[in-house]
Amino acid sequence: MAAIRGEVSWFCCGTAWGPCGTAGGGACGTCRSGNYQHAWPNTSDACYAITHPDTCGLSMSRRTCGFRHYTTNLCNGSRVGTTIADCGPQTDLFCGERTCCGSACGSNRIIDLTPAAFSAIGSLSVGLRPCSVDTV
Amino acid sequence: MPQTLDRRRLLATAALGGVVGATGLGSLAPEAAFAAEPAAVEPGAPDPNFVEGRISKISGHLLLVTGSDTVLHSIRITDGTSIWKLHPTTFDQVAIGDGLYARGVRLPDGTLAADSVWVNIVNLHAHIAAVGRNLLHLDHKGQRIVAHVVPGRSAAVYNGTPAISDLSLLRVGRHVQVLGAWHPDTNEIDIATVYAAA
Repeated sequence: MAAIRGEVSWFCCGTAWGPCGTAGGGACGTCRSGNYQHAWPNTSDACYAITHPDTCGLSMSRRTCGFRHYTTNLCNGSRVGTTIADCGPQTDLFCGERTCCGSACGSNRIIDLTPAAFSAIGSLSVGLRPCSVDTV
Repeated sequence: MPQTLDRRRLLATAALGGVVGATGLGSLAPEAAFAAEPAAVEPGAPDPNFVEGRISKISGHLLLVTGSDTVLHSIRITDGTSIWKLHPTTFDQVAIGDGLYARGVRLPDGTLAADSVWVNIVNLHAHIAAVGRNLLHLDHKGQRIVAHVVPGRSAAVYNGTPAISDLSLLRVGRHVQVLGAWHPDTNEIDIATVYAAA
């Protein structure tokens, strides 16, 4: 898979405090906020029917639970490897959204990381970053 | 002496009472700090340098945290720790009962010397169910959550445009991502940033 460029955010899952307490283990049943995991918008037909990245003009490969992706924060070049543990983000709801750090930009939400993974490449207090995602 | 500062040694020194200030560490600004550290954790695995849970006790500069999985953690706040609670803040604003995410390095005794602590931070994907005076009612996974607009702090990003303080364009039924701070006593939140879809 060639690297794709877009936006990365974060989400909580597993046992948790506050509003995250209802999140559960995600579509794969294994998601934990403290693990290096992520949500991917095309994990199954049912998932794709919710996230619909195609409506934003994106062609995103079918990847299932446990598949590894590597996400690079385009603001600082840091990179983290994670496995699929949930379905998301809901790409179609933010079609055309664009996030930049200077001249480094990404459009459309393509991946959500767990807090542990996102905080390895950026601050949780910044909810959205331009990124590239690849498989090696 | 090496030109590149060894981050682990610096944090350990700070945690053990060495004279190290945030200014001296400089690169502890979160975005720069994370850029300097390669991820060494296996994809899918838990990160030993990350803690999630609620504060059960504060003793000096040590936080005792009970993880949501019931595992107990000790977190050392150092002179170089950055703390966020709706905005960058100071250690005296941290309270028992607060939830947190923390990242740092493990000391030999298992304590986490914290680089960054995000207190009560939430990042919710929700729909706007109702709009009130200085607040939003959010539908989050079937649960209703009250989100307060904090004058001078809350901002909105409308479909990728630069953040502005005017939240009046938010409409009922819109999908939003809300980054904010949770109130443990009421289960309501204060809004830091609302990302609104088109």
